[in-house]
Amino acid sequence: MVDYRFSEEQELFRESMKEFCKSEIVPKTEKLANVRRMPEEIIKALAKFELLGMVIDPEYGGLGTDVVTAGIAAEELARADPSCAIPVLFLVGTSWGHTIDKYGTEEAKKEILPKAIKGEQIIGIATTESDIGSDLGSMKTKISKKGNKYVINGEKMYISGVAEAMEYGGGHVTLAKMTPEKGTRGMCLFYLPLKGTKGITPTYVEDIGREAISCGGFDIKNVEISNHYLLGEENKGFYYVHEGYELARGLIALVCVGAASKALENGIAYIKERKAFGRHIGKYEGIQFKLAENYVRIQALRELAYKALWTYDQEIQGKASRFEVSMAIAMAKSVASIWACEAINDVMQWQGAFGYTKECEDQKAWRGVRSFTLAEGSTEIMKLIIARELLGKEFLAYR
Amino acid sequence: MKIIACIKQVPDTTEVKVDPKTHTLIRDGVPSILNPYDHFAVEESVRIKDQIAEVSVTVITMGPEQARSALMRCLALGADDAVLISDKKFAGSDTWATAYTLSLAIKKIGKFDIVFCGQQAIDGDTAQVGPELAQQLGIPQITYVEKVEIDEKLKLTIHKQTEEGYQILETKPPVLLALLPPTSFQPEHPPMSSILKAKKKPFKVWDAKTLGGDESKFGLDGSYTQVIKTYTPPTRGECEFIEKDDIKQAAKKLSEILLKHEALIKR
Repeated sequence: MVDYRFSEEQELFRESMKEFCKSEIVPKTEKLANVRRMPEEIIKALAKFELLGMVIDPEYGGLGTDVVTAGIAAEELARADPSCAIPVLFLVGTSWGHTIDKYGTEEAKKEILPKAIKGEQIIGIATTESDIGSDLGSMKTKISKKGNKYVINGEKMYISGVAEAMEYGGGHVTLAKMTPEKGTRGMCLFYLPLKGTKGITPTYVEDIGREAISCGGFDIKNVEISNHYLLGEENKGFYYVHEGYELARGLIALVCVGAASKALENGIAYIKERKAFGRHIGKYEGIQFKLAENYVRIQALRELAYKALWTYDQEIQGKASRFEVSMAIAMAKSVASIWACEAINDVMQWQGAFGYTKECEDQKAWRGVRSFTLAEGSTEIMKLIIARELLGKEFLAYR
Repeated sequence: MKIIACIKQVPDTTEVKVDPKTHTLIRDGVPSILNPYDHFAVEESVRIKDQIAEVSVTVITMGPEQARSALMRCLALGADDAVLISDKKFAGSDTWATAYTLSLAIKKIGKFDIVFCGQQAIDGDTAQVGPELAQQLGIPQITYVEKVEIDEKLKLTIHKQTEEGYQILETKPPVLLALLPPTSFQPEHPPMSSILKAKKKPFKVWDAKTLGGDESKFGLDGSYTQVIKTYTPPTRGECEFIEKDDIKQAAKKLSEILLKHEALIKR
């Protein structure tokens, strides 16, 4: 039988994390409605508790923890902020900080990572464009070499953290085409500083949820960056970006677990108090069946998600293959948002008309978690990855 | 200088519910935490360690294997080493037997200067172990301590809470201090780097045999008291709300009721 227990350090970390969230995060979430920008005090609080860049090499100021421990942080942050804005800031910074740590030049790592870890700058991810999401091979943004610099032209859209990077400082790990005729094998991944960069023009959109983190895009017009911002080798960006996405997807699965678990706790408390037709509504089978079904799903998701991150850690140690990681992560992410949304939706339903008001805490969770059928790889793409692993590459869709 | 901090792992009483029929506490599934009074005591110990050169803090507890996590937390808060005193023979200890067992462990550690305890534990609320431990060790004690100042010559200035305010006391080691946190106390949450350091610090487990001492004074055999039952007393009496717009009228009505029940005496 497998030993499923967390390590002693991880259990202590979760305990400390819960207390941190209770005293430092939960009281601040009341002020997060419709702000469209992560307050600096929250970024600083996350940094002070050493959450930003926890998986990054200690040489650059990180802790060098495994990604399962980062998953614990993601789950607990989502319980504290079920709107998922703070968890998104955390998971994006963690995943793409990890990518910079792994593939960045020494100069870039020394420049970017210590500031991100201290909360002085943020790190985001920019691959999506106005009409390009899953179909990355069709992206229009291009990068070309010019001496010891690169020149970029194009645009990115539906990106988290643009306002924060423009205002506080920081930038986005960005994907662009260098050799278009090679399709996805002709792409470069690089760090694009946003604040103060000539040729960057931001635009903003309003998401239906995650109201405390910005969503937007930026036009990129003849932007020149130093070549030390290139991540890894030229034309291999499509490969690197999937490693980053897979970490983000694993963390997202646990964000869904955290938000849905909190909603179910709220729901359990409610159905034990609310009476209808002379009895507590928790006594009705119609409620109990839904509660049991949702609880089992969220527990199953939790197991899938931690197993996926554990597999990611195994790959780092050379004990698992890239494809094993892809499969495990895709399995967790393929059901995460859907199961979490259904659980939260049922909790809203139990609360009757109140469940459809903005006073109901759970609707914020639903709006936040709903984003994850799209963000960091759609549910449909996750299913294609699973099918690819089951059927073989010769059955790869859209090739 | 050597500081020994005595701590206890307790059920999180904010999570404990009462059985509506039996009035007993439902402890099943209730998470265990470091007693908040002890948390303050450990933070104060570490503060002194950071303030004065060559101070080490040893944290000890008597409890089952699960109490290890409370000690690990103290190590993450900055204590230098930990001792878990654990044996089935200690089961059922009342405050006197607990104090006896802790005193043996402290004597085994060797020379010490200050023993820090929390004023009380949130599960039993007896506030007896600290004073009894001082008695067993044969050292002076100061209770209800909110603040500890220390100078290079190890002179201690103690701020002791009283019902009227504070007593400022001066003393020298060895001494036992039972600490009561101020209402403004915000417990520190150790970050991951401190947890990783804690894992590398010395951690000992001592059983009854290792401690030595008189085994008849351990556990239930060494206890003068036994808890037969814990329950919330049923609500008695009646509650009357005084609803008056005029505060003077409300005060007058209140004084009439108090006089009627002889809770106030008219002069």
